Amino acid sequence: MTNTIKRLARTGVLAGALLVASSCDDFLDVNTNPNGPQVVSANLYLAPMLHWLVLSPQFDGRFVGRYTQQWTLPGTSLSTWDRMGYDPASDNGAQQWRDVYWSFGQNLVDMINKSEAEERWDLLGVGYILKAWGWQVLTDLHGEIIVDQAIDPTKFAFDYDTQEHAYDEVARLLDSAIVLLARTDGAVNQTYLARTDRIYLGDRTKWAKFAHGLKAISLNHYSNKAGYDPAAVMAEVDLAFTSNADDAQLGFTAAGNDDTNFWGRTRNNITNYRQTQFVVNLMNGTQFGGVVDPRMSRMLSPSPDGLYRGLDINVVGFGAMTATQQPNNFHGFAGTGGTLVPGRYLFDDKVKMPVMTYAQLQFVKAEAAYRSGNRPVALTAFRNGVGAHIDYVNARNLDNGQNPTQITGAERTAFLAAVAAVPTDPNLLTMTQIMSQKYIAQWGWGHNEIWMDMRRHHYTDIDPASGVQVYPGFTPPTTLHPDNGGQIVQRIRPRYNSEYVWNSTALNAIGALALDYHTKPLWIIQP
Amino acid sequence: MMKRVFLAFTGITLLVAPLRAQDQQITGKVTSEAGAGMSGVQVIIKGTTTGVLTNGEGNYTIRARVGQALTYRFIGHAPVERTVASETTINVTLRRVASQLDAMVVTALGQEANKRSIGASQQTVSGPDIASTQRENFINSLQGRVAGVEVTSSSGVPGASSSITIRGVSSISSSNQPLMIVDGLPIDNKTFNTNVLASDAPGSVSAFNNRGVDFTNRAADLNPEDIESLVVLKGPEASALYGIDAANGAIVITTKRGRAGQGGFEYSNSFRVDQVRSSPEVQRTYGVSGITGGVLNSFQYFGAPYLPTAQFYDNIDGFFQSAFTSKHNMSFSGAAQDNRINYRLAVSSDKQEGVIPNTTYGRINLTGASQAQVNRWLRTDVSMAYSFAANTQPWKGADGPLLGLLIWPQTDDAQDWRTAAGTRRRLTLLSATSEIDNPYFNVQKNLNNSKTSRIIGNLGLVITPFSWGSIRTNIGIDGYTNEGRLLRHPESAFGATYNGVLDETIDVVRNINAQTVLNVERRTLWRDISVTGLVGNQVSDFRSNASGLKGQDFLDPNFVSINNTSVTTRLNRTTLNQRRLVSLFGSATFDYKDYLYVTVTGRNDWTSTIPIERNSFFYPSISTSFVFSDAFPAVKEWVTGKVRFAYAAVGKDARPYAFRPALESKLTVGGGYGYGFTGPNVKLKPEFARSYEGGFDLSFLEERLGLEATWYRKRTKDQIVNDIRGSYATGFILFNLNGAETSNYGTELTIRGTPIVTDRMSWDVIANFDHSFGWTKSLPNALPESYVSDTWVYNNVRNGTQPGLSTRSLTGLYYLRNNDGEILIDPTTGLPLRSSIFIDGGYDRTPDFTIGLTNSLNFGRWSVSALVDIRKGGDVLNATEHYLVARGLSKRTLDRETPRIIRGVLRDGRENSANPTPNNIVVIPAVQTAYYTSMSEELFIEKDINWLRLRDVTVRYDLPGRWLMARTASVFVTGTDLLLITNYSGLDPIVNGNSAAVGGSGGQGIDFGNFPMPRGFSFGLKVGF
Repeated sequence: MTNTIKRLARTGVLAGALLVASSCDDFLDVNTNPNGPQVVSANLYLAPMLHWLVLSPQFDGRFVGRYTQQWTLPGTSLSTWDRMGYDPASDNGAQQWRDVYWSFGQNLVDMINKSEAEERWDLLGVGYILKAWGWQVLTDLHGEIIVDQAIDPTKFAFDYDTQEHAYDEVARLLDSAIVLLARTDGAVNQTYLARTDRIYLGDRTKWAKFAHGLKAISLNHYSNKAGYDPAAVMAEVDLAFTSNADDAQLGFTAAGNDDTNFWGRTRNNITNYRQTQFVVNLMNGTQFGGVVDPRMSRMLSPSPDGLYRGLDINVVGFGAMTATQQPNNFHGFAGTGGTLVPGRYLFDDKVKMPVMTYAQLQFVKAEAAYRSGNRPVALTAFRNGVGAHIDYVNARNLDNGQNPTQITGAERTAFLAAVAAVPTDPNLLTMTQIMSQKYIAQWGWGHNEIWMDMRRHHYTDIDPASGVQVYPGFTPPTTLHPDNGGQIVQRIRPRYNSEYVWNSTALNAIGALALDYHTKPLWIIQP
Repeated sequence: MMKRVFLAFTGITLLVAPLRAQDQQITGKVTSEAGAGMSGVQVIIKGTTTGVLTNGEGNYTIRARVGQALTYRFIGHAPVERTVASETTINVTLRRVASQLDAMVVTALGQEANKRSIGASQQTVSGPDIASTQRENFINSLQGRVAGVEVTSSSGVPGASSSITIRGVSSISSSNQPLMIVDGLPIDNKTFNTNVLASDAPGSVSAFNNRGVDFTNRAADLNPEDIESLVVLKGPEASALYGIDAANGAIVITTKRGRAGQGGFEYSNSFRVDQVRSSPEVQRTYGVSGITGGVLNSFQYFGAPYLPTAQFYDNIDGFFQSAFTSKHNMSFSGAAQDNRINYRLAVSSDKQEGVIPNTTYGRINLTGASQAQVNRWLRTDVSMAYSFAANTQPWKGADGPLLGLLIWPQTDDAQDWRTAAGTRRRLTLLSATSEIDNPYFNVQKNLNNSKTSRIIGNLGLVITPFSWGSIRTNIGIDGYTNEGRLLRHPESAFGATYNGVLDETIDVVRNINAQTVLNVERRTLWRDISVTGLVGNQVSDFRSNASGLKGQDFLDPNFVSINNTSVTTRLNRTTLNQRRLVSLFGSATFDYKDYLYVTVTGRNDWTSTIPIERNSFFYPSISTSFVFSDAFPAVKEWVTGKVRFAYAAVGKDARPYAFRPALESKLTVGGGYGYGFTGPNVKLKPEFARSYEGGFDLSFLEERLGLEATWYRKRTKDQIVNDIRGSYATGFILFNLNGAETSNYGTELTIRGTPIVTDRMSWDVIANFDHSFGWTKSLPNALPESYVSDTWVYNNVRNGTQPGLSTRSLTGLYYLRNNDGEILIDPTTGLPLRSSIFIDGGYDRTPDFTIGLTNSLNFGRWSVSALVDIRKGGDVLNATEHYLVARGLSKRTLDRETPRIIRGVLRDGRENSANPTPNNIVVIPAVQTAYYTSMSEELFIEKDINWLRLRDVTVRYDLPGRWLMARTASVFVTGTDLLLITNYSGLDPIVNGNSAAVGGSGGQGIDFGNFPMPRGFSFGLKVGF
C-alpha cells in the first residue's frame, strides 16, 4: 500500500511539474481580447471616419454657429459663445480635435499603412484626403496644432506646429491623394471601397473631385496673403464637383443615436437654439433691396404667427417677443416640440448631411475670380452657386418628406432675376453678394468654412464695391466675453481635456495659456 | 477548515497510533468555568499531531503513553497542559481569557498555526458574531470588528453593494478590496459593473458609468449562518501565500461542518422591522421661481413666498415605509461517533423589504458539506453551496427618487402620481426629460432588478502518503448567472428621450481554482531548531461572459420585455473577460525552542494579463515572531507576549486586455471598426508593493487583558494606473500605464479585556483602533492628475489625486484664491471666481482614526453584545445639499434676502499685492440667484466628519432546558444602526456615489441622492433538537 501511495504521489508531483513547465505559456495565452479584433480589413476602418468627417463639424457647429451668428442659444443669460467667448474647463467646441486625433488617429494610420501595403490606391487616396481634411479643419479652428508629432502612443508631450506647416501638409497630402485616386492598377476595387464608403459608394473619381475641392478651399484661405493665387483656386474648383450630384454627403437610417442626423429632433442637439436676426435679414429682403429669398421659408423656421423672425444676440432669451412671435425651433415647432415627426431642411432625423457641396465650391470660385478681376467668370460661378443651392434645398426637404414645400420653378427663376441679390450684369456683382450667398448656402452645416470666410473678411470688412459690409448687418456682440479683453474671437482654444490638462507645457510655448488666446488672429488671415 | 485540518491529523493518528505500545486509554471531561461540558475542544498529545475533539457533553477518549503531555485548546480560552501519569481519567476546566498565544488560528492557505508562530497581523471574527447582527450582507457586520478594516455600504437600500478595504487605499484606479477565500479557494466578490451593459457600449449616449444604479457585491450570496469563522489577513502574510489577488489582504472564511455529538436539527428565525432614522428637510417659505399661466415651469425655489393659505403635503415622510424582513434557517448536521464521516445540510431563506417602496432583496441558500475518512491515508471534503438572490433597487443619484422627493413641490400631493389614464402625472411646462420624476412614480416604474443563481463547489482530498507530510488538493468551481434588468420607463425623465430604455444583461461567471499543497510536518532540524513547511501550486481560470441587450421605443409603455421594444433600436453586445493565473509557492517556518519563529515564503506567479516576456514574477516574504515571555520567563509574572516583524513584496498584474488595444465595432453610420479610448502599452509590467509591519501582542493580568499593536508601511511602485488620460495627440484618450507610486502607513491597536469573569457572569471588551493614510508620490509620465471618471458623479468634483495628495483626495473646480488663501471675487458681480481646471482644495476623505468597540456581557442565561463604531475626521461631499441650495430649497437659503458681502479680495490685479482690495460688493442672493446657483461644491465638502454609531446590539436569552422539547433554545432581540451621532449635516456620512464596482478610492464620501442605512429591530428564536 505504501509503495502504491508513494508511486502515486511521485507520479502526481512529476505530472504537475511537467504540466507547469510545458503548457504554462499556452495556458496563459488568453489575453487576446475576444470582444474585438486587433486588425481588420483596411476598408473596415473607413466607415466610422467618414461618419465623423460629416458629423464632427456639426458638433462644433453648435458653438461656431454662435460666433458666426447662424443661430443663438436663448437662455436666462447670454451664453459665453454668443458673446464670442468659450466655456472654461470644457470640451465644447473641440469635437473635431477629438475626431482628428482619436476617431481618425491610429485608425487612419492603420488604414493608410494597410492599403498601401495591399496596393489599394483608391482607399489610400481617401485616407490621404481624410488626413488632409483633418489638419485643414483643425488648424482653421485652432491655429497652431500638433502635426508632426501626432499619433504616437509612446509620447506624452507634444509640440505644436505652425499653421503654415499645417497648410503645407494639407497641400502635400491632397496632391498625393489626387495622384493615387487616378490610379487603376494594383488592388484598386470599387466594390471593396464601396463596402464602407457611404459617401461615394467607392467611386474614386468622385473622391478625386473631393480632393480638388478641398484644395480649392484651402488655397482660397490665402486671400489675405501676398502669395494668394486665384487662378489656382479656380483651376482646382473646375477639377472638383460639376453638379449637385457630386456633393459629399451622408444619409442616416435613424436607427440608433449615431445613425441619426445630428440636427434631428431625436438627438435633441439644436432644439433650444433659434435663428438670428442676422441670417433672417440676409434672406427676408432687409439687406438685398426687399428681395425675399424663396429659400427662407424652406430653411428657416417661422414663428407660430407665420412670420420669420430672428433673435437679437444681444438680448437675453426671447426678449419682449410674445409666445406667438418667438421663432419655432429649427424642426418647425414651438418650444421643444417636433419629436418623432419630420422636421425642416437639415434639421431632421434622416436628412442627408453634407461636408462639401457643389454650390459651396462655386462660391469659392466666384470669390477667386472676383478677386482676380474676372467678373464674368465670377458671375457665372456665383449664379451657378445660387441656383444649385436652391435645388439643394429642395432635394434636402425631400429626403424625409419634411414639412417645407418645394421651391417652385417660378420662384427659382424669379429669385435668379432679382438683381438686388443675384445680379445678371457681371459689373454689378459685389463681394457682399458673393459672401452673403455663400453664407446662406453653407448655413446650418458649413460652419468651419463660414467662420473662415468671416475671419478672412475680419467679420465687418466693408466691400468697396457695394459700400456696405461684406456681411451686411453683422455686428459683433456688444458685450463680449470678459476674457476677450474687448477683442473679437479668432480661434477656439485647443481641447481642454486633451491639452490644458495634459500638455500644458506645449500650450505655454504657443501662448495658449493666456486667457484671451482665443482672440489671437490666425496666421492664415494675416497679410 | 480548522477542524478539518485537525481531523486530517486525526487521520494520521489512526495510521500511526495502533503501532504504539504502552498506550493507555485516557478519558475525561472538559468543562467551562461555569461547569458546563465544552464540545469541540482539541485534545492533543504534545509534540505530535495526534489528537481528538471532545463530544457534545465535553467528553473525550484518547490513547497516550505515560509521561506524554496532553494539551487542551479551545478558541478564546487559555490552553491547559496535563502530563499523563498512571491515572486513566483526566478532567480539565478551561478558563476564558482575552488573549492567548497558543490558540490555534487559521492562516494563509487554510493552514492552522499556533498564534505564537505568526509574524504578521491577523484577526478572527467568529461566525456567530457575524450572524447575530442579522445583516443580509455579512460584509456589513465587519466594520468595527477588525482593526484596519473599513466597510462602506453604497446605500441603505436592500441588496446595496458594500466595499471593503483593509489598510486604506493604495491603488489609484484598481480595486482595493481584499481577496475572499472560502474553504481554501477564492470566491468571486464582483459588483456588477455597468460597463458591460449594451447601454454603455462605446458611443452610447445612455450610459450609466456606474452612476445612479447599484448591484449587490457577490460575496453577499454567502449565508452568514454558514460561516464558522472569518479571519482577516491584513498585510504581507496574505499576499505572500495567496498571491497577487491578495495584494490588498485576504478574508479567509471557513464554513461550518458537522461535528460528532453536536448539531442534529437546528432551526432559527429572525423578523426585522426597518424604519428610516431621519428624513431630509426642505424649506417651506419660498415658492417656485417660474409660473406661467398658473402652471409651474421650473423646480427652482427662488420665487415669491408661499401665500399663508398655501396647503402643504407631507410628501417626504409619507414616502418611506416600515419594512419587514423575515429569515428562516434550518440545518441538519452531525457525524459518526468516530468522526469518520460528518455532514451538514442547511437551507435558509431571507426576504427583505426596504424602507423605500418597491425595494426588496431575497435570498435562498442551500448548502451541503460532508467530510469522510475513507481509509488511513485518504480523507475527502466536499461542499456545495447553491444560492439564489433576487434584488430590486431604486435608482440613486441624479435620477433617483430621493432628489425627486426633495424637489417635488410640497404644495402638490406627490402620492397622486398617476393621471386618470394611469400615466405619469406631469406638473410643469418643462419637457418630460427636464421635469424630474415624481418619486412615487420613480420607484414604481424605473426598476433595477437582478437575479443571481450561483453554485460554489469545493472538492478536497487530503492524502497522507508519508509519515512526514500530507498532500491536500482542492478544486473549486464558482459559477453564477446574474440576470440584470434595468428599466427606464418611457414616461420617465430618464427614459422619455428614447421612449423607454430596457437593458437586459446576463453575466455568466465561471471561475475555476485548483490548488495542491504538500505539507511537511514539523521536524527537528538540529537540537532546538525545528521546521515546518509547505510547497504548493495553484491554477486559476477566471472567466465571465456578459451578454447585454438593449431596446428602446416601447410599444406598450408598461410591458417590460425586450420584445416590446422597437426592432430597429435593439442592440446586442457581448463582453468576454478571461484571466488565468498559475502559481508556485512555498513556505518554511523555523522555530527555536518554541519561542522564536522565522517564516520565509516565496511565490512565483504567471499571469495572462501581462506581456509574456514579463508575465512571470517572484516575490518573497519573511516574518518573525519572538515570544519574549517564554524566552525570558521572569517577565511572565507581569506580562506575556510576543513581538513580531514581517516584510513582504507582492506583485500585481493588470486587468485583462490592458496592453494591446482591440478594435470596437462602431455604431456610427455604416458600422465598421475603430479603436476604443484606450491606447496600447506593450511595455506594461507588473506592479510591485513592498510592505513592512511590526508589532507586539501582549497579555497582562493572567491574560485577562490583551493588547495587540501593529505599525505598517507599504509602498507601491510601478503601480498600474488604468484609464489615465493623455493628450489626444497620442491617437488615444486613455492609457493603462505603469509609473504611479503610492505610500501607505498606519497603526492598528486591538485591546481585549475581560473585566469580569465569574461562574455566573462575564464581561468582555474588544476595542479596535485604526489609523491609516495613503498618499500618491508620483503619477505616470509626470501627468498632473489621475481620477476615476465614474466618480464624477456630481458637478465638478471627482476622486482626483495628484502627487503629494492623499489617495482619497477630492479635486474640483474650486474657488480661486490669492497667495494668502483668500477667495478671489469677480469685481463685476461680487461673486467668487472658480478655477477652470481641477485643483486640489485640501480635501481628504481619509479619517484620522476609527474605533470599533464591542462589549459582550453574559449573565446567567442572558447575554448582551453591542458594537459601537466611532470615526474621527475625514471629509464628505454633501452634494445633495448643494443640489438643494442651488435650487433654493435648502433651509440654508432662507436668509436669501439678507444683503451680504462675500469674504474675499477682488481680482483687480492687486490680489497678490501687499494690499489686496477687500471685497466690498454687496450681494442679495434673492435677487442675484447666481449666489446660490454658481456656488462651488467646495462649500459643501464637509471637513472632519465624525460619528459615533451603535452598529448593532443583541440581547439573547437562553431558554431553560427542555423548553420546547429542544436540546437548546434561545430568543433574541437585535437592533441595527439604531443610533447615529455625527456632525455631518446630511442624512448619513457613510455613502458611496458609485457602487463597489468602481476602483481606486471610488465614490466613497460622495453623498448625492443616496438613501442611508435604516434602523432595524429584529427578534427571533433559535432551537436545536
